[in-house]
Amino acid sequence: MNAASLERRRRQAESRWKGLQASPDPVIYIGMGACGLAAGAGDVLAAIEGFLGTRGLKARVVKVGCIGPCYLEPLVDVQMPGRPRICYSNVTPEQVEQMLASFLERGEVFKRHVVGHFGEGDFDGVPSFYDHPMLKAQVRIVLKNCGIIDPEDIDHYLARGGYLALERCLSMPWNEVLDIVMRSGLRGRGGAGFPTWKKWQVCRETASDERYLICNADEGDPGAFMNRSLIEGDPHAVLEGMLIAASTIGATKGYVYIRAEYPLAIARLKSALAAMRKLGLLGDRILGSDFCFDITIKEGAGAFVCGEETALIASIEGKRGMPRTRPPFPAVAGLRGKPTIINNVETLATLPNIVARGPEWYSQFGTETSKGTKTFSLVGKVRRTGLIEVPFGMTLRQVIYQIGGGLLKEFKAVQTGGPSGGCLGEEFLDTPLDYENLAKAGSIMGSGGLIVIDRNTCIVDTAKYFLNFTQAESCGKCVPCRVGTRHLVNILDGICAGRGEVEDIDRLERLGRAIKGSSLCGLGQTAPNPVLSSLKYFRGEFLSHIVEKRCQAAVCRDLVVYRIIKEKCTGCQRCVQVCPTGAIVGPRSEPHNLDESKCIKCRSCYEICRFDAIAGDAIVIESRGQREY
Amino acid sequence: MSTELLSAKGARALTMEIDHRPVSFPEGVSVLRAAELGGIYIPSLCSHKELSAFGGCRLCTVEIEGMRGYPLACSTLAQEGMKVLTDTVALREMRQEILQLILSEHPSSCLVCEERDDCRRSQYTIRKAGVSTGCRNCPNDGQCELQEVVERVGVTAVSYPVIYRGLEAEHDDPFFDRDYNICILCGRCVRMCAEVRGTSVLAFNHRGPRTLIGPAFGRNHVEAGCEFCGACVSVCPTGTLADKSSKWDGKPDGCVTSTCPFCSLGCQVEMFTKDGRLSRVAGSLDSEINDGQLCVRGRFCMPETSHHHDRAKKPMLRKGKYFREVDWDEALTEVATRLKGVAADEVLMAVSGDLTNEGLFAAQQFARECLGTENVDSTARAYLPGGADFWTRLFALPISMKAVAQADSVVVAGLDSRFYFSVAGVQVRRAVRRGASLVAVDSCESNLACAAHHWLRPHAGTEAKVLAAVVRGLVEEGASADPELIRDSGVKGVALAEAVRALAPGTDLAIVIGPRIFECEGANDLLTVLTSLASREGVTIVPLFHGANTRGALELCVLSGPPSERSGASTGRVSLEGVRSGLAKPKVIYLVGESPFFERPDCEFVIAQDLYLPPFEVDAFLPAASFLETEGTLTNIEGRVQRMERIEDLPDGVVHGRVRPDWSIFARLAEKLGYSGMDYADAGAVRAEIHRRFPGFPSAPDRAPRRLAPPSGLAGEKPRHGPDGAKGFVLVGEHAGFRHRGIDLTAVVEGLSDLKLEEGLRMNPHDMEELGIAAGGLVEVSVDGTTVSLAARPDPECPGGAAFFFHVEASGGLSHRHSLRPLYGLNARPLRVQLSVAGSASTRRGGGRPQRGRKNAVSSEDEGNHVSRG
Repeated sequence: MNAASLERRRRQAESRWKGLQASPDPVIYIGMGACGLAAGAGDVLAAIEGFLGTRGLKARVVKVGCIGPCYLEPLVDVQMPGRPRICYSNVTPEQVEQMLASFLERGEVFKRHVVGHFGEGDFDGVPSFYDHPMLKAQVRIVLKNCGIIDPEDIDHYLARGGYLALERCLSMPWNEVLDIVMRSGLRGRGGAGFPTWKKWQVCRETASDERYLICNADEGDPGAFMNRSLIEGDPHAVLEGMLIAASTIGATKGYVYIRAEYPLAIARLKSALAAMRKLGLLGDRILGSDFCFDITIKEGAGAFVCGEETALIASIEGKRGMPRTRPPFPAVAGLRGKPTIINNVETLATLPNIVARGPEWYSQFGTETSKGTKTFSLVGKVRRTGLIEVPFGMTLRQVIYQIGGGLLKEFKAVQTGGPSGGCLGEEFLDTPLDYENLAKAGSIMGSGGLIVIDRNTCIVDTAKYFLNFTQAESCGKCVPCRVGTRHLVNILDGICAGRGEVEDIDRLERLGRAIKGSSLCGLGQTAPNPVLSSLKYFRGEFLSHIVEKRCQAAVCRDLVVYRIIKEKCTGCQRCVQVCPTGAIVGPRSEPHNLDESKCIKCRSCYEICRFDAIAGDAIVIESRGQREY
Repeated sequence: MSTELLSAKGARALTMEIDHRPVSFPEGVSVLRAAELGGIYIPSLCSHKELSAFGGCRLCTVEIEGMRGYPLACSTLAQEGMKVLTDTVALREMRQEILQLILSEHPSSCLVCEERDDCRRSQYTIRKAGVSTGCRNCPNDGQCELQEVVERVGVTAVSYPVIYRGLEAEHDDPFFDRDYNICILCGRCVRMCAEVRGTSVLAFNHRGPRTLIGPAFGRNHVEAGCEFCGACVSVCPTGTLADKSSKWDGKPDGCVTSTCPFCSLGCQVEMFTKDGRLSRVAGSLDSEINDGQLCVRGRFCMPETSHHHDRAKKPMLRKGKYFREVDWDEALTEVATRLKGVAADEVLMAVSGDLTNEGLFAAQQFARECLGTENVDSTARAYLPGGADFWTRLFALPISMKAVAQADSVVVAGLDSRFYFSVAGVQVRRAVRRGASLVAVDSCESNLACAAHHWLRPHAGTEAKVLAAVVRGLVEEGASADPELIRDSGVKGVALAEAVRALAPGTDLAIVIGPRIFECEGANDLLTVLTSLASREGVTIVPLFHGANTRGALELCVLSGPPSERSGASTGRVSLEGVRSGLAKPKVIYLVGESPFFERPDCEFVIAQDLYLPPFEVDAFLPAASFLETEGTLTNIEGRVQRMERIEDLPDGVVHGRVRPDWSIFARLAEKLGYSGMDYADAGAVRAEIHRRFPGFPSAPDRAPRRLAPPSGLAGEKPRHGPDGAKGFVLVGEHAGFRHRGIDLTAVVEGLSDLKLEEGLRMNPHDMEELGIAAGGLVEVSVDGTTVSLAARPDPECPGGAAFFFHVEASGGLSHRHSLRPLYGLNARPLRVQLSVAGSASTRRGGGRPQRGRKNAVSSEDEGNHVSRG
């Protein structure tokens, strides 16, 4: 297929897309991303289809990806002829009948669970979807198609300007594309923030008969799902980005290295690749140019370290996923010894936007050094969790309180950058989110995980959790990472169990610095970050664990006893029902009793108590200090 | 690729500054190596001169001007004008911290124990009750690299608790034990196995703190295809991997460089001794032949072969129905009397090709001059198919093991280097790692064929023709090979031309030829083309053959008379062949390091002179000194006359026996017989005599390779035929190399039998299925009217239509193989035979359709038997 025939296809696609917008039949959009499915979108879809079937109603059902506010899933949009698309949240199969009956049979706008509509201004008392507090402050560039289009239908992507950027790139010499990327100020979204154009230039200028492009979709950070959602919602954006990158660096073969734990994303990629092949967007002489390129999906077997580029290359080569020392950098000698560029999913998906709308447009967003937007997965103890995209430079406070809607309980910290990042406390809430400022604060941008922590979360326990993760995921090659992280975990274990000594703080810091300074790859070099940053900003909490043997958040089991505050207890019996060991007894409407000897500190009662009657607040245990270990 | 290898050719000398001292180094080496060359110590546990940089131990961090942070010396390329600091306060602190981490994973009481200085002394207290003082939990104590690094970096206490893995030490596999509790995961063994040996048996398993070294998927080493070359043991910096036999010997107190006595490559070995006895063996770093590498025999079999409790170390005589230990004088007198009592042509002397040059010379001198008989024979004759002249011509070609590793183009034919000629295989792989193109000609799926870029896979028995065609293609550059020549080999002309094209650009060419090839039809033709190729500059040809000193036996006229007498001399001589077939009946048979019979041959008096008693009755036994107990020289394949040192000098007596060097036994016998020409005081005197008789042979050990003068004319060359007819299976005899003198090493060295290399028939599993033979089932082999049944093993490496019979040219320890006698009598040359399931009369055709259903192989219909890789 050449450019002209693609143009014809695009026109067809556009008319199909317009036809969908102005469909004479009702159209029902349902978010079928992994988050939607987890929230029960599958059942909702079955209920919708069942309803349409039994009533004999004619409506089109379009399965879309995740649109962002994951806490509202399952999200269902209904579009009636002549009316804008209206979005509903937390749809249950039971509500489907009510909702659709109101729309399809009575022609009335169903008012419950409504989030917003996708039209202009207010519509019938329904606000615009983009005026929703979670979306209002966002700038959706990479995510512009997510949740809007059917990811399995290449026409939807084409109709919204898909592959136009590729066409433009193929008509330009490679150095002009490189220049565009340079002027856009795009930096690698995988975490390190290395200027994308610089890496590309090195690769392109290394003489070789073959070059490779790898899309790194081995998203492994706990609590991070930006790449998954993006691929599930808009696979073609990533793949078009790959084509742009490949044509610029002169690669002939591309790989998408994706975790096998993302089956839906893999399925979406596969169907997208098949559609591309059909249109001649892969293979020899793409769009009639000299550019030949093909993409293979390589499923990773679940090792976190394979997200590190040299380990990823080893894994594709069929070897053990184990990083090697650099230099040579992959851009010079990577996969099979050939120059290789490894870009993150988000970096690649940004490219079509930059090329299509120009570098100047893109670089208006963001700060002096960090241009553009960044997607984050906002999770933890915020009211509104989900996938967001904001321009660089937005403060943590805006993200957490404006977009995330704040916390239910008191804010304590935010963990940025996943297990490689750090815990930042309240004093950093006004820190702008960009590479430099986060690094200055002792954390990293990382791939974009934001985990919000409230006062019910123990900082020591959180640090221990992340360290446990990194030590288990260390490849075992270099000593500081393999052995050092294990000792860090041991010391933290001791502190959480009440065996801590004051010297432990010193040990953690010394060991942490040694691991940071001497590890082979990024995993080890950043593994102590959660400990070091929380030691820096929450030293008091460590000390109270060590000296007072007290866990303020009432998380560390060995340091707390549960007791019922009689004055507050209303005798509602909820805790009696959840207690697995029968430690809580008491007649209804009278303060209950908790038998400490039976209590296994499972925290169930604490979580369920509505009246703050069960004080998890650590009680000082005087004898613990003398306990011998 | 190792920086060492990269720098081997055409390297420029550069200079840099390390610790404010100028250091010069060749281009392409790492900072670590440059510092080493400049005599500056940088601690490191995972780097090794032959292996790629790993960067796992993190000890070799240095500071380099203009570089950020602390780069690793092992993985940073040394560059002109670099300024490196190796010992700053920051580096020292970091190293101490890392070393403490290593020690926290490595039970290390011996390194930091408060009592360690007094510990040794108090261990020797004499007490009434057995008291164990001192911890002995590491076999490498005193030889451990970690200990040395701890000493130099200066760690005196470990501030972290010890993480003990609590694994059970592994003792199941032969030759070496593994205790992964003390492994520091430096990965040297893994890289050695993969990079140098090309075996990749070892791998990192699991991840994080559970990371462990071992064969993948929980297999044991035998199952994983381990060659037991011991290279991993040699590079292990700790006591994790340790020889079974010498594990608890402690630190050796002596080390002598000597020559391996087991095959014709003549690898140089470091013999480590403890209290005057050989403790263990390691490859010498001598770059001429093996460069640190060995095979299972050289690495592990020496101590057991010489120290085995079955060794016969005292002279014995048959007296009536008793076979008794006697003193030397009595034994020699009796033997001399018997030899005197028969006519010269009624004596047959069989001399093993594993003897030293001195032993071989003295043996033939004793027979020819003292006894006056030409009846000298050797099983080594079977190792040189084609005869003495043919091999003299081969030995006139340029042969160099070192050149193989440095070649740009390599052809390897009929060689599986896992257990035989391993070092040759390692050299081929070294060349490939440096970028050489490799062409394999092999009917079997050998390890080298699997590593080749082009694999020509002819039918069994036609390999020589195909190899000759390849060589001819190289000689006549550009000329396309005549497809007629290889028509019946199954190899397509296109594939052949492609292989030749891949080889042609190389300036340095190496051709390594396995022993099987010379048995094949077309070997004479092959010699002709090899000879014309050898006139080119930069060509090396390595014609491999079995036996440790077979070339010495050829040069010293043990296999046949002097060249002037060769023609016609063999007629009328009594030979081993004659005795075995019953045609010749000598009265006295004198076996020197030989046991070529399964039962006592029919004669009056049998004398055996060897390390072990033969498996049949003899009348006199003369205990010979083993390779450890005598000094001597061995001639290797390249013609180097290499010294084999006397390692053990133990007093004669009840415990250590009364062994004598072979030459000394002959000298004393000659004296008893009244012959004065053999009055040798020591081995040196024998060498002087050899040099007098054979001026081309050096008078002292001389490691210079020698090329022989090719004999004129083609007389004496036996033409070799291909297998007759087109029906039936091709039976390919293959000498197994596990022989030393008269014994099969498998019978002596316990570990070798675990490798399941025992002789027998190996066949393609597909063929076996077609014939209806179960694995290990009996097969009847009918050849020339005799039928032998033996067990067949399915071996997917074997080509279809062929059966490979491995056998050792010695019956020592082989009484259970009695029934195979008819097959032993056959030459090793490929034959057509009929195979059938034992007990059934139906024989089925096998030949003609090889490689059915084989992995890797392409069906012969569409691409010929050519598999291209790379």
